[in-house]
Amino acid sequence: MPPQASGSSPAGGRGVVTVILILVILTPLAYSIVSRAVAQNVDTAELFLERPDPKHQECVRDTEYMRFHHWELLRSTREEVVRFGIRGEIGLHRCRDCHTSRERFCDRCHQATSLTPDCWGCHYYP
Amino acid sequence: MDRRDFIKVAGGTLLAGASCAYAFRFLNDTFGVQAGEGVQLSGRRWGMVIDLTRCRSGCTTCMEACRVENNVGLHGDIRWDNHWIRKVKLKSKHAAGEAEKEVILLCNHCDKPPCAQVCPVQATYKRHDGIVIVDHHRCIGCRYCMIACPYNARQFNFVDTEDWLNKEHPKRSHGVAEACTLCAHRLDVGRIPACVEACCNVGAEALFVGDMNDPESEVSRLIATNAVKRIREDLGTEPKVHYIGL
Amino acid sequence: MDIVFERIDDQAAQLRRLMIAFGVLAMAGLLATWWVVEKGIWVTGMYTRVPWGLQIVMAVYYIGLSAGSLVISGLYGVFGKQEYKPFARIAVYVAMLFLIAGLLSILTDQGRLDRVFVEPFVHFNLQSMFSINPILYIGHILICVVYLWALFTERKKLTTVVATLAFGWAFCVHSGTGAIFGFGARMLYESPLLPASFVAAAMASGTALMILLIVGLFKATKRHVDDELIIWLGRFLAVCILVVVYFLALENAYRAYVVELREAAIYYLFDGFHGALFWFGLGIVGLFIPMFILFRRKTGTSIRWIVIASVLVVFGVLCERYVIVLPGLTHPAELFPGMTVVGSALEEGVVSYSVSIVEVLQALGVFGVIGFLFVFGLRVFKLLPTEARALNNQSSSESGP
Repeated sequence: MPPQASGSSPAGGRGVVTVILILVILTPLAYSIVSRAVAQNVDTAELFLERPDPKHQECVRDTEYMRFHHWELLRSTREEVVRFGIRGEIGLHRCRDCHTSRERFCDRCHQATSLTPDCWGCHYYP
Repeated sequence: MDRRDFIKVAGGTLLAGASCAYAFRFLNDTFGVQAGEGVQLSGRRWGMVIDLTRCRSGCTTCMEACRVENNVGLHGDIRWDNHWIRKVKLKSKHAAGEAEKEVILLCNHCDKPPCAQVCPVQATYKRHDGIVIVDHHRCIGCRYCMIACPYNARQFNFVDTEDWLNKEHPKRSHGVAEACTLCAHRLDVGRIPACVEACCNVGAEALFVGDMNDPESEVSRLIATNAVKRIREDLGTEPKVHYIGL
Repeated sequence: MDIVFERIDDQAAQLRRLMIAFGVLAMAGLLATWWVVEKGIWVTGMYTRVPWGLQIVMAVYYIGLSAGSLVISGLYGVFGKQEYKPFARIAVYVAMLFLIAGLLSILTDQGRLDRVFVEPFVHFNLQSMFSINPILYIGHILICVVYLWALFTERKKLTTVVATLAFGWAFCVHSGTGAIFGFGARMLYESPLLPASFVAAAMASGTALMILLIVGLFKATKRHVDDELIIWLGRFLAVCILVVVYFLALENAYRAYVVELREAAIYYLFDGFHGALFWFGLGIVGLFIPMFILFRRKTGTSIRWIVIASVLVVFGVLCERYVIVLPGLTHPAELFPGMTVVGSALEEGVVSYSVSIVEVLQALGVFGVIGFLFVFGLRVFKLLPTEARALNNQSSSESGP
């Protein structure tokens, strides 16, 4: 039988690969568990989203919907505006009417959830 | 399980997972609920008439107004400066005595746009109202539209634009293609494009934008009563920018 | 006829050094791409009038080089020359690598790397050659995978079927790549001949590369290959070069003859850097001298001279790709027939372009990636036959010197 191509014996090689794989897969998991445990002991303030400065009666959608689905709303509005030219009630400039600061409103949640939307390179929101 | 089988299983799972992710996104975007479904389309067809006899020599008001309105980037180097609208000075090759002519060049918003034909992701497309526009959220920056445009009307953000002259309107970040949008954001809400407005403000009134499908509009009237020409009509792109006095 | 395929087991140290060298090149390319993303595409020297540069030239060049497998698989799969089957594995593997190189070159050239992995594969535009071509390239890579599987598992019938499919599909790949330019509106691009000329140049460069690979690999690993096989490939290369010359002559004659394009044709042939590249790099070094070498009986039957001719052809076709892409961009569009432009905010006339170091590093980086994968494949897969013999020499089972 022709010799194996790999330098080391089959069993030894497989062992090394297994250990490396386990480390690679478990490290992110271990990191999040450990950092969570550490965070439990640290006193962090709850996320404070700045109260809106109401120029309008109410928001275009209710708070519960906005909390979880504002991106879908923005995306479908974007398609309508860009692809069809239909400019209606919804738009970032209108959000700005009431939620005047991106830093104290949008960024707080985005930073906490490690999201970096790349809207701000083009769209003005101070 | 030996190494070979492991690689086969791992590779197969990876391939299947990736294919599923792409397929899901593709099916959702193509067959899912589309934005703008059931929307009443306006039936308009925006066109432009440029009266070169009224355009003043040396005046660059339209260029400046466009730059300010649309945040078009100037970087101090002719290689990367973007101009959505520009003036070109021409001299006849044959008649020695003929005076120099100034022509305004911009995206022609062709009815058969080669740029929209070649965009691999349909980021450049012709809207239902005839405006050829770039969806900057989708553009991948391949620059094929710049190659395809026979009028050299398209620009690209080779350099990131830092100035933000008009904060009411978005600017483009590095890496996407752009061209004159006929100020679609103004036309959509019933205003006129920035260049047209500025030209009127200085009293020259050489630029007109209107609905070519409406026989009563200024643009239709001008096209019907003047000898209008379009640039390189022989190319078959059906440009919608008409020139009086070309 | 039993061919034994093997990995390269000996010379491990040299191969490792090669892999490290390629790895360094790949890292350099990665850094260069990071620099471009960080600073802006302008650092590559591309600008509004010349939006495509060296990366696109290299992309179409690499795609063309993958035609080597087209030739080899066509020879035995379609035309039944069984003595070329020993080279099939390495040819298909290398073709796959060059297609990956082409895709990588295009990929690193895009303006928005964060979108380019998603958008082109979920939004298609079948009117665009840039949308059709990735489908063709990825399809060809998948066909190569199936092909390799058929070759490795020795399924003779499937091999013939896939070889024929790969042959036809590769024709589409190369024609499609040529059509990116040939179907475009520029005066020096638009031509129905460009896809065909592209296939011809691809076959020439691919055959030349195959000759270099086979002679180089077999010599370096002390494997025997019959001279006759290489000499025949050399003759085939000579015919490919003739076809390339024909297409080039036809295209340029047409442009020079037709009044509308005459000025552009003269610019293309005689102006600036690309003019020199066309006549010296492509014409003399890349086509005429190799033809002279390969058609003369004495040099055409010498392996050393065939290798020299192949090197020249591989260089010449690179010049040809440059000359396909750049003059079309640096030459202005004719917007106002009968008028000259005397002033404008943009550059309206003939402009110039020079290759930047960043682009060279990016190109080297892509080469490093596929070089690494190539050496890796030689070590891990059984790609090379122990020997390759011509049809009339098959009886011997001992590998000679």
